[in-house]
Amino acid sequence: MRKKSPWIYVPFWIVISFLTLFPIYWLFVISVKPAVDLFTTPDILLTSFYWDNYTEVLNDRLLRSYMVNSLIISSGNAVLCTTLGFFACYALSRFNMSGKESIFFWTITNRMAPPAVFLLPLFLLMTQVYRFGDFTLLDTRIGMILVYCTFNLPFAIWTLRPTVDGIPRELDEAAYVDGASPWKVITEVVFPLCRPGLAVTLILTWVFAWNEYLLAATLTNFNARTLTTGLSEYVTTTGTEWGIMAAISIFTLIPALIVFGMVQKHIVAGLTFGAVKG
Amino acid sequence: MQSNKLGWLFLAPTILVLFLFGVLPFIYVLWVSFHQWNPFAANPNMIFNWADNYRAVVFDAQFLASLGATVAFVFFAVVTEVIIGYFLAQAFMGDFPGKAFFRTIHTLPLIVAPIIVGSVWKLMTTPSIGIIPHLLDNWFGLNLNIGTSALAAFTVTVVMDVWHWTPLVTLTLIAALVSLPADPFEQAQIDGAGPRQIFWHITLPMIAPALVATVFIRLMDALRTVDEVLMLTGGGPGSATRYVGVHIFKEVFPRTNYGYGSAISVIVLYLTIVVCWMLYTGLLAPRKGKEG
Amino acid sequence: MTFTRTISASALALSVAASAAFAQDLTIENEDWWKEAGAQFSGVTLRGVTESTPPSNFISDVLAPKFEELTGIRVDVETTSWDQMYDKAIKDMEAGTGIYDMVYIEQDIIYAYLSRDFLVDVTAALAEKPELKAPNYDEANLTTFADNFRGENGNLYGIPMEAFIKVYLYRTDLFNDPEIQAAYKEKTGADLKPATTHEEYTQIADFFTEYMQGKGEDIWGTTAQAHTGHPASWYEFFESVAPTFGVYNWGIDAANNYSASVENGGTMNSAEAKEALAWWLHLRDIAPPESVQSTWTEVGTTFAAGRAAQGLVYGENAAWIAADDTKSKVVGNVGVALPPVAEGVMAAAEAGEGYIGYYDGGAFGLPVTSKQQDASLLFLQFMALPEVQEEWAVAAPRITLTSTYDSPKVAELDAELGGYYSMLRDQGKLFKGAPEYPFHAQVREATAPIFYQILTGAVGPDEGLDQMAAKAEEELTTLGYRK
Repeated sequence: MRKKSPWIYVPFWIVISFLTLFPIYWLFVISVKPAVDLFTTPDILLTSFYWDNYTEVLNDRLLRSYMVNSLIISSGNAVLCTTLGFFACYALSRFNMSGKESIFFWTITNRMAPPAVFLLPLFLLMTQVYRFGDFTLLDTRIGMILVYCTFNLPFAIWTLRPTVDGIPRELDEAAYVDGASPWKVITEVVFPLCRPGLAVTLILTWVFAWNEYLLAATLTNFNARTLTTGLSEYVTTTGTEWGIMAAISIFTLIPALIVFGMVQKHIVAGLTFGAVKG
Repeated sequence: MQSNKLGWLFLAPTILVLFLFGVLPFIYVLWVSFHQWNPFAANPNMIFNWADNYRAVVFDAQFLASLGATVAFVFFAVVTEVIIGYFLAQAFMGDFPGKAFFRTIHTLPLIVAPIIVGSVWKLMTTPSIGIIPHLLDNWFGLNLNIGTSALAAFTVTVVMDVWHWTPLVTLTLIAALVSLPADPFEQAQIDGAGPRQIFWHITLPMIAPALVATVFIRLMDALRTVDEVLMLTGGGPGSATRYVGVHIFKEVFPRTNYGYGSAISVIVLYLTIVVCWMLYTGLLAPRKGKEG
Repeated sequence: MTFTRTISASALALSVAASAAFAQDLTIENEDWWKEAGAQFSGVTLRGVTESTPPSNFISDVLAPKFEELTGIRVDVETTSWDQMYDKAIKDMEAGTGIYDMVYIEQDIIYAYLSRDFLVDVTAALAEKPELKAPNYDEANLTTFADNFRGENGNLYGIPMEAFIKVYLYRTDLFNDPEIQAAYKEKTGADLKPATTHEEYTQIADFFTEYMQGKGEDIWGTTAQAHTGHPASWYEFFESVAPTFGVYNWGIDAANNYSASVENGGTMNSAEAKEALAWWLHLRDIAPPESVQSTWTEVGTTFAAGRAAQGLVYGENAAWIAADDTKSKVVGNVGVALPPVAEGVMAAAEAGEGYIGYYDGGAFGLPVTSKQQDASLLFLQFMALPEVQEEWAVAAPRITLTSTYDSPKVAELDAELGGYYSMLRDQGKLFKGAPEYPFHAQVREATAPIFYQILTGAVGPDEGLDQMAAKAEEELTTLGYRK
């Protein structure tokens, strides 16, 4: 549409990227300094590197299991929420069930709850109500995957609804006329067209689960602890280990970046789709 | 048209999960909110006290102050995020060298956990040893002290939130913009519409559902903010950044004031629902009516 | 990338790798008894919750593996942050879930737990089951700090695992510098030496801030733990500063219907309390600028970074500040002294009628909801064995058994720490932990917001203390303690 040279955007993006990256750069600075060197007149450039924080992190075998837990819980939760959300949105978009708009609004109210006070009932439910013999949901990955649905599933529904609504109904109807089953229509007609929305939903639900702290801190103990709770181990009455916390965070950026890289392609795919459709 | 039974079948898992992990805990909180209950009181048991907690909340100056600060925080943070987020999303629509690279960089803040965000911003803004006050002092002679100035602390929490969450707005709006059909835009250009007219009459109405959804998400998340602010200022200086999420956290965690904390939570939840409902019906429903 | 690792010459290398090396040095006496006692619990896993502090890390990294090797009982310790730990332990014990077999109890929460009968009476349990009593374990070996963990019946409800005092640290290199001494003499007419009174302390602090800032150096006259939104500042005032002015137990008189305000017989807003606050607020003003954002961590780091000439610092931090050159820039230049006090306070403390500062520490307790109480009793005793104490004291500066003071490694460390351990042994009785209140966190959280407002200047210090006293009484009435 616009005829400007594409290069004029670049300086703008360099400035924006600098602002975006600065706190992350500073996180790195903190991770390669002993705490005592942070307590001085700050210098914007790094002059020396101190790797002890990283050796400490690499030697911590517990952190590795936290990393695995975090990956499983956030990926499991993101896939579950995106899938359930997609089907829910399809139902809300294509069927004329009575009260469906109220249900749509109700789902999002689950995300509004201030988390602190809901920890006690969740703790009680997971230890005493949702149990099967000796198995309780407390401190399990599946338990956390389900609990995270309370804030991620409404999110998925709300971000996917405009996308699903935006797919013209005529496409479904044409497929039905051709004798396709509902399953086929959903998976082969609607689903591919929703890819940009699904990709964004997947990324963001993954991020919310990956970053969640309060629920994980209360509802996991030994087996399903996540990285964020691992970070909080370094906030104690004796001291906060800023350097180690920062080093762990730098490490946690790596898997997150990989997941981002994998999913972002589909947003680009969506871009071409938009162009073709036009 | 397919039968509605199939629709309910598609919705059922969602309703079940949200009922088990959302509704049941809420019922428990509601029940607790009608009790006086602090496990370290002289009487550690739950004592039914009708609506005493709710009556107390209405006159609780600290809670009201906290609510006021929260509204200001949410307003400034969300408005800034939506405006910046929209412009960045628009800018990503064009083609330019290094686009994928810049987009990845722009999403990085999202993957930093809130407790880390709070820690980094604390270390960046601590008076005398933080880089930001240092640079502001060197470049502009400004004195930024988040330990004593309520305004400074408030501003830093807003800036921190904008830094952390604008990428979310950008991402959801990119998804909305890329799925827009091209015809109306081409038609409008043929008809000679200016960019401003195109924005108000075509782009905005078409992305409104996604925009409203995004505003909602940011609104309710900002209202619930705990980790970042707790790490950054602890709610201080004084009570300047003791937003409701932090206030509730301090009531129910260290103070173990379960009964009263539950009542506050129910009220906050109620207010959030009302505000969102008004926004929802005000912004979306009339348009839907027009279309239908 | 090259990973360089500076290995500290000091014995205080607190890293996981370093403390794991101690495991081999531990020799447990009566190994056969432990093997036999553990046999009936084979396959059992004990679970504890604690903070990630050096003493706790020693438990999970050294004591637990050794214990498992001997008895076959596995010990998993969950480490978490300060506020999460209490919440998790309380939820577990309150709901009776039985997740934890051991909980970390900081001295200030023990009375709350005791009031709720959350903990097993260890003395009674061992008397009841003599077959579980380890040969080398003896309650009488514990230092007097253990008295904090005794119930009204005098029995022990928690086995102490760490103990510190909050001491007055000063920079010996600055205090002994002839040029500075001369400048101080010229300015004040007095000799520069560690303060014993508040006036002297202020004079030294004022002098250093002015002198060092005048020379363009980043050194201030005192530290201040004065965060404007975190309870650390509240603690520094009520537990470390107010007592030195003769205001004890937060100014609340438990014997007098839990009164806090002067008009009802309390001392929270007494003239002494107001004087103490004015004194401390002045120090805050001449402390390094980051003090308004400082909790205990930052105060320690500020001192370690060489930004303060003197200050009140928690003992657990005093040790690494004085001796760990990977973390501190003032190693070898740290002197330890008793906090400055008002007239009469020292005499009162020596007579056992008051105290001059904060005695801090924690214990491991056994929740009544635990499903493995007998096996837990074994581990609790294991933690209090004399033969594990020396290495533990080296790995983390804590002493809970009287015999540990005499061990050679501790004596060596004492010299390095400027006599900190001697002070803990000889003058420890002058310090006191948190008052015996079951409502510790409740009253703190109720009054702290007013205290933060005092710190920002939104409320005047005197009115602020009046409001806090009233608020404390209101909270105590709501909780049902004050009638």
